[in-house]
This record gives sequence, structure tokens and C-alpha cells, in this order.
Amino acid sequence: MPVPTLTYPLLATLAAVLMPFLAFLLTAATGKKARNGAVSIAAISISLLAAAYVFAHVWGKDPIHVQWHWFSIGRQAFHVGLLVNNASALMLLLVCLVALPVHVYSTAYMKGDPGIHRYWAYLSLFCFAMLGLAVAGNLLLMYICWELVGFASYLLIGFWFTRDAAIQANKKAFIINRIGDLGFLLGIAILYSGFGTLDIQVLFGTDTPAVSGTGNLTPGWFTAAGLAFFLGAMAKSAQFPLHVWLPDAMEGPTSVSSLIHAATMVAAGVFLLARVFPLFDGTVLFVIAVTGTVTAFAAACFALTQYDIKKILAFSTISQLGFMMAGIGFGMYHVALFHLTTHAFFKCLLFLCAGAVIHEMQHVKQKLGHDFDPQDIRNMGGLRKHMPITCATMSIAALALVGFPLTGGYLSKDALLVHGFEWAATQHGMALAVPCALAVASMLTGFYSFRLLAKVFFAQPAAGPLTGSHATLHDAPLPMRIPMLFLAACSLFPLFTFHPLNDGHVWLLRGLAPDATLPPLRLLHFAIPILATIASVIIATVTWRWYVLGKYPLKPQGALYRLSLHQGYLDALYMRAIIPPLMRLSAVLFWLDRHVVDGFVNGLAAGGRALASAAAWADYRVVDGLVRMTGKLALGLGNALRRSQTGRVQHYLALAFFLMVVMLLYFIFARA
Amino acid sequence: MITITHFLVVGAWLFSIGLYAVLARRNAILVLVGIELMINAAILNLVAFGRYDSSLYGGQAFALFAIVLAAAAVAVALAIILNVYKHHKTVNPEDISDLKD
Amino acid sequence: MDMQTIVFYSLAFAAVFSAILLVSLRNIARSLFLFFVVLFAVAGLYLFALADFVAITQVMVYVGGILILMLFAFMLSNREMFRQLQRGTAHFIAIPVWQALPIAILFLTVMLYTALHVGRNEPPWITASREAGTVIRAADNTVEQLGVHTMTHYLLPFEVVSVLLMMALIGAAHLARKEGDA
Repeated sequence: MPVPTLTYPLLATLAAVLMPFLAFLLTAATGKKARNGAVSIAAISISLLAAAYVFAHVWGKDPIHVQWHWFSIGRQAFHVGLLVNNASALMLLLVCLVALPVHVYSTAYMKGDPGIHRYWAYLSLFCFAMLGLAVAGNLLLMYICWELVGFASYLLIGFWFTRDAAIQANKKAFIINRIGDLGFLLGIAILYSGFGTLDIQVLFGTDTPAVSGTGNLTPGWFTAAGLAFFLGAMAKSAQFPLHVWLPDAMEGPTSVSSLIHAATMVAAGVFLLARVFPLFDGTVLFVIAVTGTVTAFAAACFALTQYDIKKILAFSTISQLGFMMAGIGFGMYHVALFHLTTHAFFKCLLFLCAGAVIHEMQHVKQKLGHDFDPQDIRNMGGLRKHMPITCATMSIAALALVGFPLTGGYLSKDALLVHGFEWAATQHGMALAVPCALAVASMLTGFYSFRLLAKVFFAQPAAGPLTGSHATLHDAPLPMRIPMLFLAACSLFPLFTFHPLNDGHVWLLRGLAPDATLPPLRLLHFAIPILATIASVIIATVTWRWYVLGKYPLKPQGALYRLSLHQGYLDALYMRAIIPPLMRLSAVLFWLDRHVVDGFVNGLAAGGRALASAAAWADYRVVDGLVRMTGKLALGLGNALRRSQTGRVQHYLALAFFLMVVMLLYFIFARA
Repeated sequence: MITITHFLVVGAWLFSIGLYAVLARRNAILVLVGIELMINAAILNLVAFGRYDSSLYGGQAFALFAIVLAAAAVAVALAIILNVYKHHKTVNPEDISDLKD
Repeated sequence: MDMQTIVFYSLAFAAVFSAILLVSLRNIARSLFLFFVVLFAVAGLYLFALADFVAITQVMVYVGGILILMLFAFMLSNREMFRQLQRGTAHFIAIPVWQALPIAILFLTVMLYTALHVGRNEPPWITASREAGTVIRAADNTVEQLGVHTMTHYLLPFEVVSVLLMMALIGAAHLARKEGDA
């Protein structure tokens, strides 16, 4: 394979991916002195520029596809390569676009943290991995980046590693992600055995993807491969029931949560599914749609009653990821990617705002010396007056999340719902439950979003730390405000279309649209947005009356309430039902491993050792012995000969006479 | 009848004894004596074989030369022994190993 | 066994036994006197080989010259050397030296074998000489014959030996001089 020519877009792609890695190396090498993160910010800025250039160059045009030979096993060559098509370019730009504000935001948010040099290194590493994941042209390379993303996430969740909860959380995240990684790896293995290549362009390329043939796989294997990839995406994108790591991952710094656990990393699963989309058959798509819907609905329910501001947002993220998955399941991966994009902006913004609020609460806590949870929304209230900009930006983000008109969320979410109903129309009757559940989840989204806003910004503060200490509160500092404002602007409709009420004109959807679309139902395109907006307004009113005006008293004892608060007791279920048998299984496996496998291995080792010692003995005694004998012989001969050289006349004479006798004897016998 | 073998046997004995003295004795003068014994054995053989050469008397003539040479050798050897003693304070050949490097 | 044979054997025995004793004694003075006995006995054996002049010369040169020289060297040397030469007289018989003994015995064996071999198979030149009658007889005047041959046939060896003797004497005198002498 010839070496690909280096074109400017290719170089720009490489620069975009490698700059953060360079920053990671530099920061890691600098060590504790790298406190201000200038290197990382510069790197991600360059990446952003490069990504913008690549995007402009690739969007709607031919994809960049290059590969270099990496290594060979037998006759099988493995390559590293880049594949930048519309989806990758979008992802590349999106990651940079979200990462840069988060970097800027972090300079203020993480200020004074003793481990900040690690923070910048990890953040750059994460960006590198994520960008690499976006442009990887080869499933193997993608898998490597996928693992690297998980690893960086592990590091960042456990950033405050002195907290036990953080350590538990990063372990949990890592372990659950391993389950997904297993799925991904199985999928790769199946595809490789079927087609003998891992090149994404060859496998899933636009015109005639390899997976449209059968390779040497039976249809069952296709389903298995699809499910395996979906398992990978499930763990990474926190789909029910593997979502449990994401709420716990909120133990990391809020800026990390906003970048990783809202905008980019969790979207990697959706992105992966979009990339391998041609692989999926009907069964897999149906499973994806149902799982996504269940996730969207369940997570929305769990979000209703949480008190921790970050947990609410975490469940909201899970719910929205469920929406995206459902979109993939409907076969409308372009809509899913669109929702991914809008969601990245507004969810990142939500987290940044939440971070600003937590930041202020932390200050209050330090000043007052009270012991309270700065993330608990029950301690907040009335912050609108003190943090107007935060309030405004967070309101915009929440409205986008709910899907209010004039926001990006309105366009993407309603598009998803519409396509859900269109999809249901092509399926059997029961399939209608899927979009209906999504619609309900969407309403629940409205409820918990407004609840959050009301509790934090609008309601009168309950008897808590904020009463009487208003003077100490102020808005977020400039490095935090600017990213928030920037993301707020990105959350609105003009970024995507100039027609705020109709998703049909979104350039992003047009660029990504698959060949086969669902038969459109014209009515729905008008009815659903209107109905959804009306529902949102009603919910907003109800929430306002409930939380701000305090009209409806809450009954925290209800069974449903408790179910929601405890996240469906899923963690408890895992603890009770899965972990103990798993532990027992592990114990059995451990025993087996100890006694059978290890025994066998130890036996082998002992055999090997015995053989080795026999060989050593032989070597020492026989081979070395021969060598030593030769040496000793020479030494002895030398010594003997040396001893003959005594310098004493009589010895020489004796030798001479002895030789003479021998000579004489020889003559006598020779003659005889 | 005294045959030539008789002389040869006596010569052999004398030679071997002289050889032993040369090799074994730890005194330079006795080593010299051993050498003289060996020369005597040789002269005895010369004389014994010389019986069968009445035309030129080779055996006896060379026996005479040999005796003269032995005498000269003894004179020189004794001088050497004295010098060696002066140098090494010993006449034991075992103690003198200057031939060794 | 006639008288002649008895005398030969007694002389041979005296020579061999004295020689064995000579090398076995630790006392060097005794060894030197035993050397007298050996030399005399060997001189007697020369007579049996019909070499009367050689026997006389043996007695004259060896007994009268060499042996006296040795004794003088032995006795007239300085006292320390004398003491050293006398040292270790505690044992009458010297301990045999095991490296030397086998070689000596080997030599003896080889030579005895050869001597017996010569006795059984007479060399051709002896046979030829016996047939040609050129064997020395007891009645021959060996002294006259020797004198004639020395001055005629063996003149060159005679002169060479004279020169050698001269050199040896000068060398011996040079070696034996005291340090500091010219």
C-alpha cells in the first residue's frame, strides 16, 4: 500500500488529534509547575481551528480516508488510518467546540486545586482520545481510543482520589465500561472473522459497504455482532441497565462532568452506532429502540426526585442518551447525531451553570463554616437575584432540554419524536408504545428541568444556609461566564437553521441523512411540536405553582417517590442479586483458578523447572564438565610441564635419560 | 672362558649405578663420582670390544683418550663445584634452580 | 670353573658391590674411598680384556690423579663446605630416590638385554675379526703396539686431546682462583 499523500485537510486532522496529546505529554513532563493550563488551552484552541478547517473541507464532500500499514500477523495486515466523513467531522468539531469552553471554564473553576497539573494532563489526554475516536478509520484504532477514553474518564472521575466515594465511583465506571468494551471487542472479532478487515470505510462505507454482503457469516452472526456493538455502546452511553455508573461519576469535578459525562464521552456510544449503522438488522434496531426508550423513560423518572443538582443532570443525560439510542433504533441515526449535537451544547451548559452554583455554594460553606452539602438543591433558592447571568444561561439550557421552541433542543427532540411515531407506523401495533413512552419521558423532562430551575433560582430559600447570607453571593467569575454565554448561544436555534420551528431545514440533518428514510407522516410534523410545546407550557405552570408558590405539598413517603429517589433500587438490586452470586462465582472461579488452572500451570512450571534443573545439571556437569575438564587438563598438563621445568639439573637429566631409555626400547622392539 | 658378555654385564651394572648416583645423590661431588663411574663403564666396554681389533688397537687407544678426558673433566668440574659453592653456599643440586627462569 | 673365572667374578662383584655401596652411603668421605675400590677392581677387569696399559693408566690417572684431586677438593676446601658435605650422617644408608631408581633399573634392564643379545648373536665384525685372526692375544705386546698406533694412526686425536687437556687445566685453574685474583 503506497504511503498516502499528505494533504492539508489530512494534516489538519492529524494536528487536531495530536495537539491535545502533545499538551498531555508536555503537561505531564512539566509536572507540578503546569498549573494554569495554558498549554492545554492552546492545544485545544489549535485543535478547534484545525477541526473547523477540516469540517469546512469535508462536510458534504468526499471523506478523507487514509491508512498506513501498522503491523502484520502472518498474512493479515493491520492498518492505522483516518476516516473523516460527515459524521466524524461533525464529531471532531463538536468535541473541540465543547472542550474549549470547558477548558476556559476550568481555569476559574479548578483554581487553587492542589492537583490541578494532573487535571490539565488528564483533560488533554481525554481530548486526544475522544478526537482520535472520532476520526479513527479502523475499528482496532477506534477500540484503542475507546479504551483510552474510558481510562481518561476513570482518571478524571477519581481526580479527587482522597474521597472514598470518588474511588468507588471510578472503579464502578471502569468495571461497567469493561462490560461494554467486551461487547465492542466481540463485535470487532466477529466482523474480522467475517470480512478479514477492520477498515470502517470498507466495512460500512457509503456506496457498497462490505456488510451489505454476507462475508462468510450467517445472518445470526450479523445479529450477534450488532448486539455486541450495541453492548459496547450501552455501557459507554449509559443505557439501562448499565447506566448506574454515570450518576456516581458525578464525583469528579463538575467541569469534567460537563465535558465527559454530558457532552462527549457518553456520546461515543451513539457515535459508534452511527458509524457501524449499516451492520444492524431489524432485530438489533428494535432492541436498540426499546432499550433507548426504556432508558429515556426510567432515567427521567429517577431524575424527578433527586436532590443533588448534579445527579438530576446526570439522569437527565441518561434520559437524553436514551432518546438518541431510540433515534438510532428508528434507523434515523442522523436525527440521533443531531440530538447528540444540540444535547452536547445545552447539557454542557447545564453542567457549567450547575458548577457555577456549586462553586458559590462552596464559598458560602467555607465562609459560614456550616456543614451542608453544596450540591443539594434543598439548600438553594432565590439565586436568581444574585447570579442573574447564571440563571439566564441555565434557563436557556433547561428550555433547550425541555424542547421549547427557538432552541436547538426543540428541533432535535421533536424530530426524534416525529420519527418515532413514523417508525411505529411501519412496525406492529405494540410498537406504538415506544414513541408514546418517549413522549411521556419528554414531559417528565420538562417537569424535572423546571423543578430544578425553580428550586435553585426562583423559589424562596428554605430555612438553610442561604437565609441571611445573601451578601456573600455573586455571579460566576469571567472565565466561567464567557463559556456559559458562548454555549448558551450555541444552544439556540440559529446555529442549526434559520427556520426556528421546522426541523426540515436543518443543514446538519441534510448532511447526515441516510439513503433510506421512513415514510413521512405530514400531520405529525405539525402536530407533535405543537402538542409538545403546549405540554411543556402546562408543565412549566404546574411546576411553578408547585415549587415556587408551594401550592402542592409533597408526600415523600409515597412508594413511587421512594422508587424514583432510590433510582428504582437498581443499585440495591445489583448489590443483592448480581454481586453476591458474582462474588460466589468469582470465589468458585478463584478456587478453580487456584487449584486447577494454577495447579496445572504450577505443575507445568514445576515440570519445566525440573527439566530446567536437569538441563542445568547436565549443562553444569556434562557440558561445563567437559569444558572444565579441558581446562583442567590444560591446567594440569601445564602444571605438570611447569613442574618439569624445575631448573634442577638432575631432573633434566632424569628426563633426558628416561627419554633415552624409551628410545632404546623403541629401537630394540622395532628391531625385534 | 670370559666372553664379551661378561664385560658388558659388569659395564651395564656400573653404568646404571653411576646413573643412579648422578640422578639421585644430593651432593655435587658424588654426582661427579657417578659420572666417573659411567665413564669407567664406557671404558670397560671400549676395552672389551677392543680385544677384537689387534690391527689398530682402536679400543685401547680411545680408552686412554677417554681416561685423559675424564681427568680433565674432573679437574674442571671440581673447579665449577667450588665456584658454585662460593656462589650458592651449597653443593646440593636440588637447591640450585637457576636454570629455571 | 677355572681360576681365571673366579678372579674375574670376584673383581666384577667387588666393583659392582662397591659401586652400589658408594651410591648408598651418606658419608661422602666413605663414598670417595669406596670409589678407590671400584677403580681398582675395574682396572683389574681391564687386564682380563688384555688391556694392561689401560689398566695401568687407570690406576695412575684415576687413583693417583682424579681421586686425590677429589679428596683434596673435598678436604682442603673451606670449613663450611666441609661441614655441609659432612651433614646428615645420621643414616648410614641414604634413602633411595624413587624417581631415579626406576630410570636406573630401566637402563640396567635395557643394557643387560642388549649385552645378552650380543652374547647370543655375535656382531658380524667380531666374527670377521675372529676369522681374520686380528684378535689381541695375551702374548701380544700391547704397550708397543699402542705406542706405535698413537704416534701414527691416532696422532691427530692425540694432539687434540693434548690441547683439550691444556685448555681444561687452564680453565680449571681460572675457575678455582680466589675472588680478586687477576
